[in-house]
Amino acid sequence: MEKATVLFTPDNLAVDVEPGTSLLQAANLAGIELVSSCGGDGTCGRCLVKVQDGYVKVKDGGNISPRAKKAGLVLACKTFAEGNVVVDIPSRSRLEEHQVLLDEQLLLEKDIDGAEGFSLQPLCQKLAVTLTPPTLEENIADWERLQTAIRSALSCSDVRISMSVLRQLPEALRAGDWQVTVGVTQINGCAEVITIEPGHTTSREVYGVAIDIGTTTVAAQLIDLVNGFTVSKKGSYNKQARFGDDVISRIIHASERPEGLAELHQTIISTINDLLAELLQPGNLAAKDVLMVTVAANTTMTHLFLGLPPKYIRLEPYIPLAAATPPVKAQELGINVNPEAYVVCFPSVASYVGGDIVSGTLVTNVAKDERVTLFIDIGTNGEMVLGNQDWLVSAACSAGPAFEGGGITYGMRAMKGAIDSVDIDPETFEVKVSTIGRCKARGICGSGLIDCLATFRNVGIIDRAGKMQTDIQTPRLRQSDEGWEFILVYGAESESGRDIVITENDIKNLLRAKAAVYAGIRSMLNAVQLEMEMIERVLIAGGFGNYLNIGDAITIGLLPDLPAEKYTFIGNSSLKGARLALISKEAWQEAQELGEKITYLELSAGNDFMEEFMSALFLPHTDMSLFPSITNVK
Amino acid sequence: MAFSAMKERYRNKINEVVLGATKEEGGTRGYTVTVGGESALPFLHFEGEIPNRPIVALEVWDVAPTDWHESFTTYFGDVFDNPAQWAKKCVEEYGADVIAVRLKGADPDVADASPEDCVKVVKDILAAVSCPLIVLGCGKAEKDNQVLPAVAEAAAGENLLIGSAEQENYKSLAAACMVHKHSLIASSPIDINICKQLNILITEMNLPAERIVIDPTTAALGYGLEYGYSIMERARIGALQGDKMLAMPILGNVGHEVWRAKEANISAEDMPGWGEQPSRGFLWEATTATALLQAGMNIVVMRHPAAVALVKQNITELMKPTSFEE
Repeated sequence: MEKATVLFTPDNLAVDVEPGTSLLQAANLAGIELVSSCGGDGTCGRCLVKVQDGYVKVKDGGNISPRAKKAGLVLACKTFAEGNVVVDIPSRSRLEEHQVLLDEQLLLEKDIDGAEGFSLQPLCQKLAVTLTPPTLEENIADWERLQTAIRSALSCSDVRISMSVLRQLPEALRAGDWQVTVGVTQINGCAEVITIEPGHTTSREVYGVAIDIGTTTVAAQLIDLVNGFTVSKKGSYNKQARFGDDVISRIIHASERPEGLAELHQTIISTINDLLAELLQPGNLAAKDVLMVTVAANTTMTHLFLGLPPKYIRLEPYIPLAAATPPVKAQELGINVNPEAYVVCFPSVASYVGGDIVSGTLVTNVAKDERVTLFIDIGTNGEMVLGNQDWLVSAACSAGPAFEGGGITYGMRAMKGAIDSVDIDPETFEVKVSTIGRCKARGICGSGLIDCLATFRNVGIIDRAGKMQTDIQTPRLRQSDEGWEFILVYGAESESGRDIVITENDIKNLLRAKAAVYAGIRSMLNAVQLEMEMIERVLIAGGFGNYLNIGDAITIGLLPDLPAEKYTFIGNSSLKGARLALISKEAWQEAQELGEKITYLELSAGNDFMEEFMSALFLPHTDMSLFPSITNVK
Repeated sequence: MAFSAMKERYRNKINEVVLGATKEEGGTRGYTVTVGGESALPFLHFEGEIPNRPIVALEVWDVAPTDWHESFTTYFGDVFDNPAQWAKKCVEEYGADVIAVRLKGADPDVADASPEDCVKVVKDILAAVSCPLIVLGCGKAEKDNQVLPAVAEAAAGENLLIGSAEQENYKSLAAACMVHKHSLIASSPIDINICKQLNILITEMNLPAERIVIDPTTAALGYGLEYGYSIMERARIGALQGDKMLAMPILGNVGHEVWRAKEANISAEDMPGWGEQPSRGFLWEATTATALLQAGMNIVVMRHPAAVALVKQNITELMKPTSFEE
């Protein structure tokens, strides 16, 4: 059968496919990443494209709005090329243009490095070793000779070497006249020689990379392991997004398609390799100088990163394959650093409390502080840890990706063009917005959404149940095919030329997300029989925006009504923990212990969480006595 | 040694809500009726105060019902076409504490009665009886939003109990009750959270909590009575334990639910094992009502005079103080 050519505009990229291939697959083949939150099931309605020319077959049943249909758009996943076609991809259907805002640009985030209490003892270092040359009388083998020297230098009895490095050993020793520089990794009490160079090299450059793999975004830092300084930072989308927005759809993809797991594994490896290329560029550093990689990720992402089947994470009773995984060589995973470099992943606590949370707990010193601390990471999921130096419990609630922009009509991640704060005049309902990068608005990010919900409530656009008050007098409130919506930015001022709106449905999604987080906190407190007031500090992590307005977050009932001074916003704590572990053996050791020490509470067992969730579906909460600072203002 | 009963101590009590207003109070009623005020679970006199007995309301429609069982003709056949006379009969002959006027005729699918027609019916009934009135809409929000505010305005000062406000539609009714000095029924679909939320929403419009009666939805015996029972019981316990946003007296549309049940209506010929319909029908209603009184219901809206007699007798017995206390 003849191949069909699909030409994508405005990129002018053409790809030959079998007839009957979906436009979504064709786009992937052409290297164009489309937004496809549902993973090609036709339910998210985001992979909209326009067929300019040619013959396609459109399957019924996809989630496409009448408005989009009228504009001639189709869902790429439900449209199949039957012959040569020309397809136009609008900018909002693309994934690739997005860039993740890194924490260096965050405004009100408290900088924690967590290095207090830990000395600089990187997981990998270069040692200059001088050996006594062998003689006829003193005739120990080369390796044992080197081993003895390293043992005494590191005071470590268990010193190993890999086969491939061993093969280089005899020539290196002799070329350097019994002086060599060795790269040694020390993990979990065991040292391993991973590189060997003749002579005492002058630079002794050694680098490590700390990586945070989020369901949505991936962030990485290049660290100079000699002094512990950060050389560069980069972030990007997790390219796995095209297989679905949340961990569940990724697990389904990995479990139910024959090549699914391999595809997901390759995709995250390629995401990381792209990041590494960018990380190394500024100083023109060579990949071979990167000798250590630490990875903090949620349990599912850890599985997919290591190529482990995640199937049973999704099925009751939700069991991961491994909580702590063994160190693995970079070459085995295909990561473009020194092939002998070790990659270590933070241990998980449970299926839905992963290494990212252990990493955050490590860097925030929750387990070393006598104060009762609540640590919440609001990402695609809401995970939390509560406790102090004596005890730690954790829980996860399925908040969904709303605060990262998922499931919100004009939702987007915190990047250029995202509305991050909203101001509305209570009399005229005129709107002022500010965007990241001070440019034309493209959408609205997590902190903007929280602000929006609080402001809508304060000026009376919505009632406490989240219902739009249709009797207010403003042209910004209008009815569409899908219900009521409020125009934040008119098309004339937005980047796409379309009105940026918040719909009643968006508000419902936000309500559910914030209710899940709050219900998780309450359920966890109930389980340990602690009152809200007994929490002495609250640490908020998450990449949902430039900043977090704690007042707004309390107004909408996302966070407990505690005095503002108890709160600290710490940004991406998972990445910071990964960096800390890289430069401190002690910290890495502690992370291992934390993985075992944190008690996991399964919120889906029993009715408590569901009841808490239902009563939190209100602004701020059905039990108003939980929010005294808000309800006293009438 | 003297016996001493274990007592539960509660922090809060149910709000007292007054139905009707006398001449001095700005209305035209001969007397007012107060519900609620209890500081213990239903009829546990030894644990707290039960100052007001639960009351029974009889339904009166603005149009002659076509779907009521034929056995009702015996009681109301002569007055079905005259709501004022129907109401009078309910009070004078059948012992109704208050009248519940259901403006069924306003339903666009029934008679599509205008707000003016509905106002006239309510006015006529107010003139015919001296007891307080409950006024219920046809159940279609769009029409009720026209009819009920008109009734509220025309009967300003009478302190009617008007219903029902729902989560999707509470603003115009709450506003009408506030301006024209009436009380409001807040209905929720067997959901304690929505029940509470609606009370919060209404009180935030500045209608005092003491002018709200809740209808958490009830069902007939055999049709989910236990669900309605659980929610009422939970609301009661929550209220007594201190939740002010649940501390409203409870109203139940018992007659409306029971008389939709097959068990109340089907004839003995069709179901020989079930006994005669006339007694089975009103017993079904009385059983449903007395069960719900135990859950904490304060206002029972009923239809059958024989059931009313049984329920009132039951209330009288339950209101006798418990005797083992010195």
